[in-house]
Amino acid sequence: MQFHRDPLFREELIRDYLLKRLDAETAESFESHYLVCEECFEQLRVGEMLASGLGRSKLEVRRVEDVVVLRFAEPAQLTRQSFELEELTRVFRQKDTKVLIDLRRVTKIDSAGLGQLMSFYSHVVKNQGALKLINANTEVQAVLHATKVDSLLETYNDEHQALKSFDHP
Amino acid sequence: MALDPGTLEQYRLKLRYKVRWHLGSSCPDVDDVVQESLTRFLRAVQEEKIRKPESAGAFLSGICNNVIQEYRRGVSREAVSNSDTKTPERAAAPETDGLELREAIAVALSRLPQRDQDILRAFFVEGKSKEEICLSMGLSDGQFRVALFRAKGRFRENYYREVKQK
Repeated sequence: MQFHRDPLFREELIRDYLLKRLDAETAESFESHYLVCEECFEQLRVGEMLASGLGRSKLEVRRVEDVVVLRFAEPAQLTRQSFELEELTRVFRQKDTKVLIDLRRVTKIDSAGLGQLMSFYSHVVKNQGALKLINANTEVQAVLHATKVDSLLETYNDEHQALKSFDHP
Repeated sequence: MALDPGTLEQYRLKLRYKVRWHLGSSCPDVDDVVQESLTRFLRAVQEEKIRKPESAGAFLSGICNNVIQEYRRGVSREAVSNSDTKTPERAAAPETDGLELREAIAVALSRLPQRDQDILRAFFVEGKSKEEICLSMGLSDGQFRVALFRAKGRFRENYYREVKQK
């Protein structure tokens, strides 16, 4: 396949690759090509940045002093293979060691979501940090309690109080 | 065929894109799959199995496909036994997903004129065809091409400037 024959053809190919619209054969052919083509790989990277930056993100990230606060702007499910769980995982950086997750809009959590929370937790603890939760609804709270996750992860109903607790563990 | 460390690092970066595309960003084992693919590739290079350097990309991609298949089979076997209760390790952080880089992307986008943002969103996010975009934005074929490439180029410049400042 001639990936360089027309810049627009290449852009459409990159766009369709990112949107997973290409058939398996074309995707494989493009992958074999970009593994050895700097120019096409750079265009792919920029295309991915554009898609991720312009795509509507459900997760709001803000920083209150040294605490990173993560909150879903829309109803979200932290379940196996959910987009929201994937997004949360992506945003959770290795450098962040004080993290507060607002679960207000989280309607459901399963073992994959709990597993990911525990993975975040072990990461921050290993780095002398802390992970805390706020605003879990009754159902999510019940799951956290039944699985004893709430004995490890402090949960709050008030953001101010939760933020303050990072200074006075 | 000889490989220098720089080329290997480039392969690693590119393989991460491929593996993430196939297994998803939240897969905790992206880096392991990439490493295994590179190891097998290096072995093949040492054993002179790649005779034509121009086929290196297809060869590496094929190796990586096999490793991905094996990984998937392993995961399904684990799922059948009892892995539902297993705590996953940290997921591999994709290159563009750190908070600082996300911020750089957001800043780079905010510096684009609204028209540039509109055309890029319609093309890359909404996946609209050239014809649809031309119709909705009142552009000719030629104007669309110029507008799309300029917008993408401006974003790229803004982004790298922002990353450099950080």
